[in-house]
Amino acid sequence: MFSTVNKPVERVDAHEKVTGRAKYGADLQFTGMLYGKVLRAKHPSAKIKNINTEKACSTPGVWAVMTAQDVPCNEIGVILQDQQILAKERIYYIGDGVAMVAAESLEVAAKALEAIEVEYEEISGIFDPLESRSSDPIHPDRNSNEVVHHKLRKGDVEEGFAGSDVIIERQYETQFVEHSYIEPEAVEAVPYENGSLVTIYGSVQNIFATRDAVARCLKADLSKIRVVQNHIGGTFGGKDEVVSAMACRAALLALNTNRPVKMVNTREESIVESYKRHPYKMNYKVGATKEGKLVAMEIKAVADGGAYACQTPFVTWRSVVQATGPYEVPNVKTDTYGYYTNNVYTGAMRGYGSPQVIFANESFMDELAQELDLSPLEMRLKNILRNGSITASGQKLDRHEVSLDQVIEKAAQAIGYEEKYKEYSKPQSGAKRRGIGMAISYRGCSLGAEAVDGAGAVLSIQKDGSVYLYSGLSENGQGLKTVFCQMAAEELGIDIKHVNFLESNTLISPDSGSTVASRSTLVGGNAVLDASRRAKKALADFLASQYNLPAESLVFKDSHIFTSDGKKLISFAEAARKAFWAGVQLSHVGWYVAPSIHWDEEEGKGSPYFTYVYGCQIAEVEVDMGTGEVTVLNMAAAHEVGRAINPATLKGQIYGGVMMGLGYSIMEEVETEEGYITNTNFDEYIIPTSKDMPNIIPIIVENPDPDGPFGAKSIGEPTLELGAAAIANAIAQATGKRIRSLPLNLERVLLGHPLRKGRGKK
Amino acid sequence: MIDYEFLKAHSLNEALDYLGSYENVKVIAGGTDILVDIRKENERAKSLKYLLDISKLKELKFIEGRKDCMAIGALSTHTMLVESAVINKHFPLLVSAAKTIGSTQIRNRGTVGGNINNASPAADLLPPLIALKAHVKLRSAKGEREVLIDEFLAGPYRTNRQSGEIMTEVCVPLLGEGYFMNFQKIGRRKAMNIARLNLAIVLGINDGAIFDSRVVPGAATAYPMRFRKVEEAISGKDIKDIDLAEIGELASDEMISATGVRWSTPYKRIALASLVKRALETIFMEAKADE
Amino acid sequence: MSDIEVTITVNGAKHCLEVGPKERLLDTLRERLHLTGTKEGCGVGECGACTVILDGEAVHSCLVLTAQINGSKVLTVEGLEVDGRLHPLQEAFIKHHAVQCGFCTPGMLMSAKALLDKNPNPTREEIKTAIEGNLCRCTGYEQIIEAIESVAKEFRGVSS
Repeated sequence: MFSTVNKPVERVDAHEKVTGRAKYGADLQFTGMLYGKVLRAKHPSAKIKNINTEKACSTPGVWAVMTAQDVPCNEIGVILQDQQILAKERIYYIGDGVAMVAAESLEVAAKALEAIEVEYEEISGIFDPLESRSSDPIHPDRNSNEVVHHKLRKGDVEEGFAGSDVIIERQYETQFVEHSYIEPEAVEAVPYENGSLVTIYGSVQNIFATRDAVARCLKADLSKIRVVQNHIGGTFGGKDEVVSAMACRAALLALNTNRPVKMVNTREESIVESYKRHPYKMNYKVGATKEGKLVAMEIKAVADGGAYACQTPFVTWRSVVQATGPYEVPNVKTDTYGYYTNNVYTGAMRGYGSPQVIFANESFMDELAQELDLSPLEMRLKNILRNGSITASGQKLDRHEVSLDQVIEKAAQAIGYEEKYKEYSKPQSGAKRRGIGMAISYRGCSLGAEAVDGAGAVLSIQKDGSVYLYSGLSENGQGLKTVFCQMAAEELGIDIKHVNFLESNTLISPDSGSTVASRSTLVGGNAVLDASRRAKKALADFLASQYNLPAESLVFKDSHIFTSDGKKLISFAEAARKAFWAGVQLSHVGWYVAPSIHWDEEEGKGSPYFTYVYGCQIAEVEVDMGTGEVTVLNMAAAHEVGRAINPATLKGQIYGGVMMGLGYSIMEEVETEEGYITNTNFDEYIIPTSKDMPNIIPIIVENPDPDGPFGAKSIGEPTLELGAAAIANAIAQATGKRIRSLPLNLERVLLGHPLRKGRGKK
Repeated sequence: MIDYEFLKAHSLNEALDYLGSYENVKVIAGGTDILVDIRKENERAKSLKYLLDISKLKELKFIEGRKDCMAIGALSTHTMLVESAVINKHFPLLVSAAKTIGSTQIRNRGTVGGNINNASPAADLLPPLIALKAHVKLRSAKGEREVLIDEFLAGPYRTNRQSGEIMTEVCVPLLGEGYFMNFQKIGRRKAMNIARLNLAIVLGINDGAIFDSRVVPGAATAYPMRFRKVEEAISGKDIKDIDLAEIGELASDEMISATGVRWSTPYKRIALASLVKRALETIFMEAKADE
Repeated sequence: MSDIEVTITVNGAKHCLEVGPKERLLDTLRERLHLTGTKEGCGVGECGACTVILDGEAVHSCLVLTAQINGSKVLTVEGLEVDGRLHPLQEAFIKHHAVQCGFCTPGMLMSAKALLDKNPNPTREEIKTAIEGNLCRCTGYEQIIEAIESVAKEFRGVSS
């Protein structure tokens, strides 16, 4: 059916990466480059009484020392502009920058930082959102500590509970999680380069948001700021605001010294400063009939927003939409809240408000099943959304294939769920016990009602028949470049090796918003397709006049153009050459805006996303009852993706997502103690190794979507969001104990409850 | 930031000279502990003024059999231990432990001497070496002395090494007939773990009865030590008469009497008991099969 | 702080250098020799992104002081390609989709090469052990292991 799309084509950027040629932010060197370093706060909550930079300024080799006083506009933010580039009068969290230097070497920079004297007056901080919601505002210019409150309303929950045979109420809790991209954040700022006031290079996930921040900070026109994305060593949502702040700092130092400035975070700086996944505290009250039909759900979720608003308003919005899980529930009352605290700030991380609520709702589905004496599978099948179902937000699902039953069936079959569930339900003795658990989800694709969901691409056919492509969206490692090249090659009927995806650069790529929300293939891909079709049409129209054939009848394939009855007319390269010399315009901009959806913030209902993907993951675990160690033996991961543009890179997303979910589930936690982060490197913040891998069974289900390019939807986030719930359910069967907080580490699994450290501050 | 001068020793005597002539010297071999300490500005690196590199002293990098013992040079790496045919033959316990240290890259650089001298309470080689009754050899300008390893340890990250001394080797006495051994370790993931708890047990069993017992938990007390009460409880007994659950609990009690109740006690009391049970179970099965 | 003279061979080329007492092999490679293929991910020997082969063994270059290794031979990812021909491991990584963001890739390749140089016939478990010190956040390790397995199979079959 396809020549390039839906094929496991090799990644277009693999060669440069395996040879060490690919340049990441920290690999760049500029003539006359200085090194920028930031002095960070000593306390998580304090007033700054005085900063003395005299000694630092006079340190040999130091070219600039700057504080908040030197910043034209000190507050940035994508939604609320409350994030300080450098702390002015107040410290809001332990990662706040207080001063910064540009020096000739890292050694000199470190010495200069040591020479800066800061006088603090500690203010008692608030580290629990349940406390801050009723405390005095942490930010003096706000009325309260509420960042946001979203609601979703359907039917009447009180009536629903009255009509329920059984009602259960449970509380669940999740932890701070660090993105742990292997590449720490790195930027360079180069003043007056290439027609810009300043150019930013580096590990920039979102070139437009970073450009916005730098322009705002410097009080300059957007068109004077250039942001270029280098190869990035992973983002998972995490190189957005933290990198924007770094870019602002580097830009200020660069313009101050008139020299390029390089700023690279150490791992410790990265963990202390960068935003994390929101910890959630969730209350679920659920009513059902004794046959197992869900009748009413009342959900409250409180997110720790940390020091700055960041993307808390959008993250908690996705949670409010999806908190019930992919089920038909006639009566729903969901409220999600985000509150400021003096903890590290929290923002986008793969999943974006879904992993937390999925942990909760998929755990309680099993708990409810147990109450009603139903199997977890039966419980779900009785309630899942199907074609024509109405979601919790009141949206009818009738534009695409609702495939929850398919992913459940395929995953269950692949791992032998039914037999194993029966086997492990029998009483187990012995030190090692097994369990099997499932989790399912639906995920609204792209940004939904959070923002204008448009994306652009530029495709240009060169006179030798080769093609270059610019997109406003970025390659974070997920394989976007390859997928976009595949789409362009497919549409134009040429060999992918002649399609070159160029760097993301704000002076050329159209502003397409963020590379987030698993929207790249879907929204970005459609823009690439649009650009490809326009360029193809220009060429086809030209050839039509040359050959006196209707343009629509021409077939582009195998790097040639054919007539409708198979006669070879001309090679693509020759056609391009002729067209160029005939003055045909071969550079085209493509644009795509997602179908209109709407959300009524007041009423708490609407059609929040224009399409959805569905997933089911089933985990088989073995628990060591004597030590609390958990081994995940097998994990079946079935994901419905519309169309797999590249099945091999898609599998890579599944393997990677499963492992990230495993880490979230049993070992990862940013440990905070009164606002101080105590595990600041990978020796103490632990993520899964090769030895932690289960046997992963990836299953791709394709139901082409009417709105997706070649029918494709999304994959990036669905693969991560299910693991914790599946593993938690499996552990509950194995141990007979239900633990409602993450991570399910040694202590929680052995004891059945968390064990809090009593440690001193660092 | 910690600043230091770099000194390089080309011979053992040169190293001893440096140690004798300078103050605040720390020795570097594989660097996998000390360089991290320096980066983190840990207490034990704060007063550092000189870093003495002994990594090129080939004379300290060996594994050789002597009359009654295996001698392991202080600069032998963990990889060397894992791959040594003779260590695998005589002391599989040491191999089991060495395999769990860090990662392949760490094991290629980390040394036996380094692991001992760093003296982390969770060090993986210490419980096995103590259980094997190893002794270390220390050389100084004044001469040489031998110290039993459990007497060499003085506290968490502290040893009884004098400032002018370098550890040259560890000697592990060969065991006679009827000895069995087992190593256990709990980690938070399946590789690259600092032990949450570890344990080395060496038992001499003859005709189904225990004639020699050494039980050494690690990451359980301030520094690894032999649990004498547990050893007494099983010495001389027939293995079929031993109540494993009881012995496990005894080990936990002995741990708590040494450390007092800590935040981690609710976890460690159960987990240590499990490890002791498990190690003994494995050894007893081996012993039965051997008969 | 006085400089120390060392001579090291990197990817077959000899370099006579004067290095500071704190200079790590990682810094020498990246900053002095401009071999930026080797990466820094953590600086404490946990992530493995800085892995190189030192005198035949895989090591964390962030935990080796250049002053310590006078006379040693170092192989980095840039040294795998010979006369424009990719090493079988590099080809396998491309073919088996073992690369996503690519940041862990150089370290993985070096750990894999060190393994196959020592043990051309590793089991899957031995491969996992060889890369247990190389963290990857993107790929979930599976396709990396498949790539290394495929090269081991090749070596077992016909050697080229």
